[in-house]
Amino acid sequence: MRKLRNTLAIIAAMAIVSTAFAGCGSSESNSSGASADISSAETDGDRIIAAAQAGKVGNWGLGNEYEILALLTKYGQKTEYLSQSFDMDGFDDGSITLASAMTYNELGLVKNSYEGGYGYGDNVGIIDMNDEGVAMLEDNLFCTKEFAQNNPNTVKAFISASMKGWEYACQNPEEAAQIVFEAGSSVSSEHQAYMASEVKKLVETDTDGNAVNEYGKMDEEAMQQTLDLAKQYISLDDSSAASKLQNLTLDDIRDTSYWTDAISGNFGAPEKSSVSIQLKWLPQCQFMGYYVAKAKGYYDEVGLSVDIVSGGGDIGETTAVNNGTVDFGVTWVSNLISANSGGMDLLEIAQVYQRSGLVLVYKK
Amino acid sequence: MKKIKRILTSKIFVTLIWIVALIVVWELFAFHVEQTKRTPENIQPHLSGIVDSLTSSRKINGSQTALQMVMENAKATLSRAGIGYIIGIAAGSVLALFMSLSGVIEKLAFPYLMLIQLIPILGMAPIINAITGDIAKSRIIIAAILTFYPVAANTLAGFKAVQKEKYELMYSYAANKFQLYTKTMIPACIPYFFTGLKISAPMAITASILVDTLQGGIGLGCLLSQSLKGAMTRYVFWDIVFFSAVIGILSFYLMGVLETILCPYKRIGKKE
Amino acid sequence: MPKKINMKTAAGSVIYPTLFGAAVIISWQTGFLHKLLKTDEYVLPYPTKILHIMHENSDKIMLNVQASVKVALLGLLLGSLIGYFIAIIATVFPKYGSGGLTIVSAFNAIPIVALAPVFINWTKDVSEEAEVRSMVAKVLVVTVTSMAAMSVNAYRGLTELPPFSDDLMKTYAAGKVTEFFKLCLPNSLPYIFTALRVSVPGSVIGALVSEYFAEYIIGVGRQIRENILIAQYATAWAYIITACIIGIAMYIVLMIVETIALRKRK
Repeated sequence: MRKLRNTLAIIAAMAIVSTAFAGCGSSESNSSGASADISSAETDGDRIIAAAQAGKVGNWGLGNEYEILALLTKYGQKTEYLSQSFDMDGFDDGSITLASAMTYNELGLVKNSYEGGYGYGDNVGIIDMNDEGVAMLEDNLFCTKEFAQNNPNTVKAFISASMKGWEYACQNPEEAAQIVFEAGSSVSSEHQAYMASEVKKLVETDTDGNAVNEYGKMDEEAMQQTLDLAKQYISLDDSSAASKLQNLTLDDIRDTSYWTDAISGNFGAPEKSSVSIQLKWLPQCQFMGYYVAKAKGYYDEVGLSVDIVSGGGDIGETTAVNNGTVDFGVTWVSNLISANSGGMDLLEIAQVYQRSGLVLVYKK
Repeated sequence: MKKIKRILTSKIFVTLIWIVALIVVWELFAFHVEQTKRTPENIQPHLSGIVDSLTSSRKINGSQTALQMVMENAKATLSRAGIGYIIGIAAGSVLALFMSLSGVIEKLAFPYLMLIQLIPILGMAPIINAITGDIAKSRIIIAAILTFYPVAANTLAGFKAVQKEKYELMYSYAANKFQLYTKTMIPACIPYFFTGLKISAPMAITASILVDTLQGGIGLGCLLSQSLKGAMTRYVFWDIVFFSAVIGILSFYLMGVLETILCPYKRIGKKE
Repeated sequence: MPKKINMKTAAGSVIYPTLFGAAVIISWQTGFLHKLLKTDEYVLPYPTKILHIMHENSDKIMLNVQASVKVALLGLLLGSLIGYFIAIIATVFPKYGSGGLTIVSAFNAIPIVALAPVFINWTKDVSEEAEVRSMVAKVLVVTVTSMAAMSVNAYRGLTELPPFSDDLMKTYAAGKVTEFFKLCLPNSLPYIFTALRVSVPGSVIGALVSEYFAEYIIGVGRQIRENILIAQYATAWAYIITACIIGIAMYIVLMIVETIALRKRK
């Protein structure tokens, strides 16, 4: 009798456990009708429309979504998207048919079959934001206006050494990948190498596909396009911030003089010799220029000791720079624009990526 | 026969059965996921895979294996959690003492004490970070804040639960406030105090992990979010999930053990 | 005499905290708090500004509040029911049940930040609609977090009976079932509220954190995170205050229900 009771207990308890986990693995069979639509679509425009109408366009949101919103608007679709997690599982399992990917990161994971990769190879098609005319500039270099005014030589020295690092990294992407890996990045070395080769393209090519040989140049036209798109697609609930956004000009967000002086070597001894830089994301080849500059001693040459702080957390790089936790930061231009609209006083001092690295990927 | 029965109903055996049952359920789903998904380790890997990832000697970043990495980061997170925990306990019990000493302070502080646990702490974190200007400090402070409430609330409940008769007895002895507290109130509230400690120990750890995710650097939470963001093998994420669960439970039991060692009433209770 | 004291204490417990709160808000509005905390009005915007944003966006805020409250309440209900059910099982089958309780309370030691993304992945196949499957995942997170408190407390309520009540029931020749319904269940009522006091605030936090990771973009938690990441602190504060209000409101409702439910007992 007791035994029976015990057995019953186990069965009941297991039933509870499985109710608690209910959902994982139920109804496996539903195939997505919408994914059929997108694979039959002939042009990129048709693909975008098909995915948008099925509600299967994905992006990470949190300030990364503006180009996608612009693209959806371009094709007359509602500006709605699914929140994509930081892996490509949603793309893999078909819950997102048109998924966001950075050329140097997620695209590599989708295509390649090294660890963490999905191995789709050539079965992946891409829609490039640069080709669609909705490109917004991404990774830059910035600090606060106050810091730049008080430490002009530090800023120029930092730009100079960092751009030297970028130049070396782009000329030797494989070595750069190794440097980043040794600096403590946990991204696998194969993916790191892929990333380095793709980042090189973003740093050395502009939105129209022309070669750029000045590292960190702030291209007037691309910056203006970024600002214009930002004004249209960044929506702020705070009405005073929203109206500030509409009145922003390029001069409110960037200053080219530091970069010009830095490139021509026109600067003196740094006012502040120990500085830190917060990256926008985890330590990886996306930021190889800074790691290379540090490893190759370029910062030492200009009298700087640099601490590289990785990002990727909820305390954004704009906040960290603004409150003085770090001196420099890497962010997307659109994020700097919204930060300044909200009341921060940040200043872009170099533009490392010359074209958008965001693409939408679909299964062919 | 009796012996078998005794083993069957012993506490260890029961726990074992439960663990086995959970493993079976987990593995059943893992098999299912393995068959239907391309990246099963992102959804639910086999337990063997998780164990493998911990024991393997393959280096994940330039210099460390998964185990070394988890341990190094755990050290950072746990020490921060520990410091925060101690600060939280100290602040919480002192506040509870003041609240029990003075009705005004109690009335003043109690609603706000409740409020603390209703504040979404992740939202507060950047503000705390801005104030301290140092992520390590703000991590400790947040662990302290989260520890603070359960300790203060439970200790206060302990002070209040002192039987009226005891209180009156001390009063009739003409005991002063100091004697009243050292002889009656504080010993009486110890069990409640430990309840607070037991509740908040795992909380301090989870809080510490949660706050780690706010910025890069060293810590279990940083590692966890990096792994989720695809910066390293997903198994590191699973390692941390299991590791934090185990540590959380251990911390709870550790407080229980501490209570048994420190408090005579527990030992007497056990003997009966 | 005692009545007078009661009036005085009751008044005191309202007046003192209100005065304190008013003092904090005044020092906040006048910038004294900023000096004290060495921060700026950017990270810590003035209350008037926060209220202004809340007023301006009241429709949007309400929409997000509804979503978050739905998640919190559903999860709380489900978690509490399952938790209580586990406690009953543990009472009926003490040997195996208490082991189960340990396992359930172990779930509490897993950080929600780790739990949420796992549940999102597990529930991918629940529905074609992102809105539905996100909802399921979020509710599950809250369920798990509120399950532990309920099962542990309810178990105590079902087993820690008043002295001799058990024997008394036996002298009445009451069967196990009668004893359970007439003694154990009513005895556990205050313990249910003890559990809810823990899990109501927990459910709000659980809902907010799970929204961070959910596919379908909605909810107070998501808004907090989004606005912090794009450095809109005033707006983030508006949602933080909203989240606090949700928590307080749910807690007040719980207190009222508790007072009514437990009134008969005293």
